[in-house]
Parts: sequence; C-alpha cells; structure tokens
Amino acid sequence: MTTIEQQTLASLPKGFGLAIINSKAPFSSNDGKDALDVALMFGSFEQKVSLFFQGDGVYQLIANQDGRLVSIKDYLKTFSAFEFYDIEDIYVCQQSLVNRQLNETFHINDVQVLTSIEFSKALNRHQHVLRF
Amino acid sequence: MSTLHLVRQSAFATNDFTQCLSVLDHQDTVVLMDDGCYNLKHSLMDSLLKRVDGTININIISSHAQARAIETMAKVSHIDMADVVALTFNHNKVITWQ
Repeated sequence: MTTIEQQTLASLPKGFGLAIINSKAPFSSNDGKDALDVALMFGSFEQKVSLFFQGDGVYQLIANQDGRLVSIKDYLKTFSAFEFYDIEDIYVCQQSLVNRQLNETFHINDVQVLTSIEFSKALNRHQHVLRF
Repeated sequence: MSTLHLVRQSAFATNDFTQCLSVLDHQDTVVLMDDGCYNLKHSLMDSLLKRVDGTININIISSHAQARAIETMAKVSHIDMADVVALTFNHNKVITWQ
C-alpha cells in the first residue's frame, strides 16, 4: 500500500484492507482453494487480509476432515500457515454454525465466532471484498 | 416403480434436497453423496426420518461422510460406491440431484 493510502488509513479507521468471504463447502468445488491462494498471496505482499466464513463456507473450518478420502489434496491443512502470513482476523458466522448443528471446534486456532450483526459490522470495516 | 435418488448437493446451499423429498415415493432409496452428506444435519432430514416406515431406504457414502467429519446416524446405512452400482440395478430408474 502506498504512503498516501496509509495516511488515509490512519485518519479513517473505517474501510481498510481486503475481506475474503468463503461461502462454499471445501471438497466439491475449487472455490475454497482459490480463496486460500488469494489470501496467502495478499499476505506475502504484507497486505491486510481478513477471512470471513459464512454459509457452507463454515465447513472449511471444521476439525477432523480428511480430503484424501475423496482423492482431494487437503488444502485445509494449509490454513495453519495463516499466522506466518500475518492473517489474524478470521471470522465465522455463528448463525451458519447453528443452522448446520456444528459446534465451535475448528482445526485452526484464533477463530472468532461472531453473531450476524457483528459479522456484518466486521465485514463493512473493509474497503475491498472478494467472495468465493 | 422404484427410484434411486442420488443427492449430491448441500441442502443449506441449494433446494435440490427439498425437491428430491417432494417427489420421493414408497420403495425409493436415497443415497447421500459428496456435499449431499451435509444434509444429514439438516432439518429436512428429521422430517424424512419420520417418514421412513421401513419402505424408504436412506444411505450415505461412508468415505464421503468421513472426509467431511460428519457423524454417523443409526437410521442411515453406510455404503460404498460398489453398493451404489448394485443399487442402480435394483431400481427402475435413477435421479441425480445436482
């Protein structure tokens, strides 16, 4: 990010960084892997990235999954690399978990479960959004 | 006339499973595969299990459920792909919900 943008960032706390919304289940499409690739790419260029998991996207975070059983290279394991890319803001929609009868056990740490209102507020803080 | 229903989509994302249940008949068989395995935890599943009076048979592909860390359920039989092939021969027709 340029210096000018950083100055704007300091003066305006609202609207910064990239938000990536994950809304698809992990194994039936490439969307989850694509979102991961984009997140890590932005991370390696020291861009601020936040990850949002909504709808069937929450299945990407559930513990004890194994893609090898359905002949898929398990990209979910790479999620544990987020901290090395300074991706620290990982948000999950609580309502999506409740609807799917999922408990809050995830295969990575520091996941923040947010209510629908908090989730929408967190998303609206970002300047750019990509949805997968 | 019996039908084999192959459910491949999550009911949380599409209404395929709803449509499947609306045409489901006696002596039909349902197989949950791929993202269809997620339907095991959907409220539609509860209503389906109530309808099961021994005539409708519900199955799930074991490896597909296990890959997604989906817990098993007593009323749903675990099968593999070879069993699906057998089922296609035991039914008059097949509908794939995808």
